[in-house]
Amino acid sequence: MSNNLEFVRNFCIIAHIDHGKSTLSDRLLEDTGTIASRDMAEQVLDRMELEREKGITIKAKAVRMLYSPAEGGRTYTLNLIDTPGHVDFGYEVSHALSACEGALLVVDATQGIEAQTLANLYLAMEHDLDIIPVLNKLDLPSADPEGVSAEIEELLGVSPGDILRVSAKDGTGVDALLTAIVEQIRPPVGDSDEPLRALVFDSHYDSYKGVVAYVRVVDGSIAGEAPLQIMSTGRKVEPLELGIFGPDLRPVESLSAGDVGYVATGLKNVRDCRVGDTLTGWQRAATEPLAGFDPPKPMVYAGLYPVENDDYEDLRDALEKLQLNDASLVYEPESSVALNLGFRCGFLGLLHMEIVQERLEREYELDLLATAPSVEYEVELTSGDTISVDNPAELPDMSYISEIREPWMQISLFAPKDYIGPLMELATSHRGGFDKMEFLDASRVVLYFDIPLSEILVNFHDQLKSCSRGYASMDYRFTGYRAGDLVKMTILVNEEPVDALSVIVHRESAYAKGSLLVRRLKDVIPPHLFPVPIQAAVGGKVLARATVKVVRKDVLAKCYGGDVTRKRKLLEKQKEGRRRLKKVGKVELPQEAFMTVLRLND
Amino acid sequence: MSTLSSGARAGLYIHVPFCVAKCPYCDFSSYSGIEALYAPYVEALLQHIASAGPEWPGPGFDTLYVGGGTPTVLSADRLADVLSACKSGLGLPHDAEITCEANPGMVTGASLAILAESGFNRLSLGAQSLDSGVLRTLGRIHDPEAVYGAFRAAREAGFANIGLDLMYGIPWQTLEVWRDTLHRAVSLDPEHLSLYALTLEEGTPMAESVWSGVLPEPDEDHVADMYALAQAVLADAGYVQYEVSNWARRCAGDTPGAPPRLASRHNLHYWHNDRYLGIGSAAHSFDGRSRFARCTDPKEYVRRVHNGESTREFCEQIDESLEMDETLMLGLRLMSGVTWARFQERFSIDLRSVYPQALAGLSAAGMIEVDAEGVRMAPGAYLIGNRVFAEFLR
Repeated sequence: MSNNLEFVRNFCIIAHIDHGKSTLSDRLLEDTGTIASRDMAEQVLDRMELEREKGITIKAKAVRMLYSPAEGGRTYTLNLIDTPGHVDFGYEVSHALSACEGALLVVDATQGIEAQTLANLYLAMEHDLDIIPVLNKLDLPSADPEGVSAEIEELLGVSPGDILRVSAKDGTGVDALLTAIVEQIRPPVGDSDEPLRALVFDSHYDSYKGVVAYVRVVDGSIAGEAPLQIMSTGRKVEPLELGIFGPDLRPVESLSAGDVGYVATGLKNVRDCRVGDTLTGWQRAATEPLAGFDPPKPMVYAGLYPVENDDYEDLRDALEKLQLNDASLVYEPESSVALNLGFRCGFLGLLHMEIVQERLEREYELDLLATAPSVEYEVELTSGDTISVDNPAELPDMSYISEIREPWMQISLFAPKDYIGPLMELATSHRGGFDKMEFLDASRVVLYFDIPLSEILVNFHDQLKSCSRGYASMDYRFTGYRAGDLVKMTILVNEEPVDALSVIVHRESAYAKGSLLVRRLKDVIPPHLFPVPIQAAVGGKVLARATVKVVRKDVLAKCYGGDVTRKRKLLEKQKEGRRRLKKVGKVELPQEAFMTVLRLND
Repeated sequence: MSTLSSGARAGLYIHVPFCVAKCPYCDFSSYSGIEALYAPYVEALLQHIASAGPEWPGPGFDTLYVGGGTPTVLSADRLADVLSACKSGLGLPHDAEITCEANPGMVTGASLAILAESGFNRLSLGAQSLDSGVLRTLGRIHDPEAVYGAFRAAREAGFANIGLDLMYGIPWQTLEVWRDTLHRAVSLDPEHLSLYALTLEEGTPMAESVWSGVLPEPDEDHVADMYALAQAVLADAGYVQYEVSNWARRCAGDTPGAPPRLASRHNLHYWHNDRYLGIGSAAHSFDGRSRFARCTDPKEYVRRVHNGESTREFCEQIDESLEMDETLMLGLRLMSGVTWARFQERFSIDLRSVYPQALAGLSAAGMIEVDAEGVRMAPGAYLIGNRVFAEFLR
């Protein structure tokens, strides 16, 4: 495609979850005639079943719209790049922003500014984007446009008249928004005559076209099937197809500076064409790549094991396929004494973990057992070496360790000021250190804390919601590793340590967590024919102990002629139930046992 | 195909699906408030008995058990007619064990006399408890006095073989109340005692009450203690436990290692996995190849018999491997267990070669005893029998 750049606008929408980003995108598609209203599946851009179900966007996507303002008679090409709203996928947001010149900052008029609004806004500012503030959901009776406008004015230093008021649901204000996009967002700049430089901002895997790279052409142009190269590796790419997002992939002859489109590379692995890479010409290569971004680093690790050992190969295949479309998922084989063969997987966050697990179970029909998630620890050994440990079971004996460091985050909690007390209590009870507080307006505040990642990994978000009646929202960013007084707590079941139940805890909470853990385990492990002691130990010292009940009665009182079939089936069912338990030594552990560690913070 | 022990006879069961009132814990097939159906139902039974002979491939019968429901809601004369039909139509011999279940609140000296005269020689009294509080919890219509009265009347009518059914693990039932009931029961000197732990069956009012918290759920340890108490009290009183829930009075001529002479011979057929023919609605049969049930609705049963249609509703084919499993599952309920010889005779294969792992595992865990004669549950495992039986289900 060859454009007069003056008539191109590349923009994204940034918003907190549920503030109406997807609905607004759909409305723009419909109003520009990109998709006829009769073809609108609710929320076109959230293609994954899971995305629709959870009401979130997981992967960035792009769509091209053509827009002709009533006056002027010229047609503009608007490239909308959708961004995920959840903090786990923050790195996806930065890809999208790099491909844009402008952003719509969408704020729900019934909710006000939330954690992710701000986090993404700051990102947009770092990328020097033109920002159009938009108040959405004006149609709702609970909308408070004046109050929320005041928050935005304060935040952006704009005047009330600069804030657009729309209802993506009924279409109010959408025309004005399209006009504002054309008028307030600057056109892209770039020189089509320079050597090609195209930024890969996302990709997906297609079994026929291989890796399809989503690109923003910054300089030069891509034409036909002329070979390209990936600047970070020098790898040669012979494009199978070029195209734009209409929103379906629509082939075009060429893409030039300022354009957003895709290149079907034919590559078989998303890793060969990483997000953040620069594509350049094979014959006429650029000298400097574009500023990319660091590949996302997993923050959360957990073991995924098939419930049936026979499914191990299927799980491997499924992970391989899933990774084709999700470069942020990392995994490697792992074996556990208790759980046999599985994979240690790294995730961007808990939501990512949940999504991966659900996709594996649903799309690949696997029954999985996930161990409790862990962060990655830096462990300094007495030998002077430093190792990374993302599985508590692999922590060396404490006598070889001189220091354990854990990842710390800065979290920002947004909430009405009435909840300052409960939020303070919540954060400090999780080893959080209060940093500062800012007023968003007269009634809403942001609290900043430094807190270990391990403390906010599980349940923290639920607790945050429950202690603020759902009003608080949270954002976090990694700040660095800090040494902590951390110890490995080993769980012994029937005197045998069970590796998959090990957990790294702060020394001060070891006793409390140990007691809770053994009590919970005692409750979820079914009664055995012999007493099963459960112990929590740190460094060989038992901190807590509980004993699983002994089965005293398990017999059918009656079995006569009329009962034989029914009673036999009952026995078979009981037996089948026991077969699904994981046998660890002489003890049979249910799946819940491995998740017990998860609920330690309840 | 297996060959059932050549000497083995079969059992005959007749179901009477009526009760005066439905007990809140009962999930058996029984109905109350349909007295109008009594006469047609008995007619259907008589007709069915008369025609059942040809379709029964099995050996002759040596036991008859009339159960329910409450058979004694029917008049003694009608029950006598049923018995006489069994003798003439199915060749039930006079020396067969012929049992009738009876509800203590519903029998009189006169009715019992008719039953005894007509040939019933064993009475199974559904006492359930001898404590008025427990009886109320169970929703029974009789009180302890009615049990004593019925028992005395049965003796006077000539019943020399009387069994009592008792229940334990009832909400609010204490160990003391249970001990008292046991003592009262043995003081009557019955030939047989069946002690059943209350089982909460889904869909029964009792289960609903417990699960909704209206009634306290019987504690498993408490129930186990009651079982142990019963074992001790009954052993002291001269009773031999021969099945998980059944005891018979010790008598001269009992053979060690075999069920006592006063054991329920009819029920032994079930535990020996012998053949049995069930007649009446919801009754089950096992003819050696398949197990089948009659339609459960008595009205429908009457209609089908009347029209000469088949009354079978459910049928399960029992192949030899399943028959072996069931032989173990049922036989191990007996303290006498399963003997190598009996199994060998029936299946022409050594039991030990069919279940080597189950035998080794359970034996190592101390849950079964294996010796030159056969295999049986270890006394300590009676209460966890399901763990034993299940190991033999392949």
